[in-house]
Amino acid sequence: MLRKDINELLTRTGPGTPMGELFRQYWIPALLAEELPDNDCPPVRVKLLSERMVAFRDSEGRYGLVDEFCAHRGASLWFGRNEGSGLRCPYHGWKYDVTGQCIEVPSEADNSSFCQNVQLTSYPLVRIGDVLWTYMGDRATQPPLPEFEWVHVPPEQTYTSKRWQQCNWLQAFEGGIDSSHVTFLHSGGLKTDPLFRGAKGNEYNMKDTKPFFEVADSEGGLFVGARRNAEDGTYYWRITPYVMPAFTMVPPRGDHPVHGHFWVPIDDENCWTFSFDYHPVRPLTDTERQAMIDGHGVHSRNIPGTYRPMANMDNDYLIDREAQKRGETYSGVAGIAMQDASLQESMGPIVDRSKERLVPADSGIIKARQKLRKAAIALRDEGVTPPGVNPEHHKVRSAAVVLPQAESFLDSCRDAVKVTPGVPQASV
Amino acid sequence: MTTPTLQLSESARAASASESRYRIDAPIRPARSARVVALDEKAAAVARRLAAHPWAHARFYTGDGDARLRELDGAAALLDEVLTGTDVVVVLATEDGGRAAAAAIGRICGRRGITTAGVVLGDGFEADDAVAALRPYARVLLLSADEADAFELLTALRV
Ligand code: FES
Ligand SMILES: [Fe+2]
Repeated sequence: MLRKDINELLTRTGPGTPMGELFRQYWIPALLAEELPDNDCPPVRVKLLSERMVAFRDSEGRYGLVDEFCAHRGASLWFGRNEGSGLRCPYHGWKYDVTGQCIEVPSEADNSSFCQNVQLTSYPLVRIGDVLWTYMGDRATQPPLPEFEWVHVPPEQTYTSKRWQQCNWLQAFEGGIDSSHVTFLHSGGLKTDPLFRGAKGNEYNMKDTKPFFEVADSEGGLFVGARRNAEDGTYYWRITPYVMPAFTMVPPRGDHPVHGHFWVPIDDENCWTFSFDYHPVRPLTDTERQAMIDGHGVHSRNIPGTYRPMANMDNDYLIDREAQKRGETYSGVAGIAMQDASLQESMGPIVDRSKERLVPADSGIIKARQKLRKAAIALRDEGVTPPGVNPEHHKVRSAAVVLPQAESFLDSCRDAVKVTPGVPQASV
Repeated sequence: MTTPTLQLSESARAASASESRYRIDAPIRPARSARVVALDEKAAAVARRLAAHPWAHARFYTGDGDARLRELDGAAALLDEVLTGTDVVVVLATEDGGRAAAAAIGRICGRRGITTAGVVLGDGFEADDAVAALRPYARVLLLSADEADAFELLTALRV
């Protein structure tokens, strides 16, 4: 269980909240690059950390993320005309550039300097890989750009999707640290999902449903090792890295691409789940990429033109009790992503953690909450820069290995959990 | 972003904030009676501070070098008796001194189906052997932990 006040602290991310300030120390995914495909394309509404903005790409290809509402009388700039190097409010024609600077107020004299004093709140928006990243904190402490491997490998080696999740970010994120649910909730997928099936490691997963866990600090967050019995005298280890505040990677399976997530609060009752797959050393095959687009693996099938999953709470996640009975899915919900989301959303918009009964196997979650709380308080009270801000902390990998029983996963996997360009992931 | 729906599905209604008000609010009884065993001197100091907090049923002990235990007031305690009537044991270690006790506790817990959690305080380098002794039995090992982690673990487990 978690005390109510700590739950409040960890789940509220609006401006001025301790956790909100913590998130504002980091570059976070704001939207997918595909949402702003061309210069002068339509602007997109973006809500992050309880702030409403619009994103647009101007005539020169510069990206902007600015206050959604026009400084004149508050019309939404989502209706803006994106043309001539700026976004023009269609109501009275005020025009803004990508920094939120007002560059034209048509009702004023041509040589008026009035607009120079009109500036919308804006945040940097930078494309790295298939993701547009923003930093919503103080400009003075803006860190260097993110270095996660998934956005730095060549484009043919990586794929990113996103989906709207209708619950607080923390309960979604906690699923990424919680290795012990895989053997249950996702058991169907280990056998059938084109992006998981066939790996030797899956057999260890299915044979030993009571993993042992070791949780260790890393510079940027945590490593959570889950250990299962393998052949005589050996253990099968699955190592999940967590980089603060909300990045986790799933341990790989065979030569399948490696996947992971970045959870980003929209407001306190909604979040974006960014899901990615990449291979460190080879292009994704056409079949793999198609499977991702079709919503297999950690991805979801979304309603065309939106980032809302087709299976969602409004249609009971298309639950299929017959498929459940036949053993195709464990919960009746299809697909890894929606299996997680359906249960996390079922907890309610912000789960009351004072009602939990945690067990030692939940230690990864206990420790991650503790790290978040400590970091948020150290930032609030002493201005301490939290772990995970330094881009060096981003250069981690998940790993799946078989080790002799006496070996510590941390000692044996020091290289495996580091990004080494040109070297494939450690995987069974 | 949203699709218009005329009628909320059962799942959508059930997941709403307003429906959260109707959750049954029964008091949760502490489910576990935990034993916390500090394996060495430094860990014992932590155990004493932890013991000062109010817990439901948790009881605290220190190891004294081999497989014998002591209550915090120094009275000798038999490992076998300490581990009777519990379903979770949390072991605290900072260095290798408690290796033998760790192995003994692990073995008994393994046999009796008592869940074992190991909390290795500090950077853990001095506790390699204790960790190795615990590894086969501990359902979870918190490495590089600090006192607050131990406190949070016990709180989370409602002991
Ligand atoms: S078994 Fe974990 S939430 Fe029910
Ligand atoms: Fe999951």
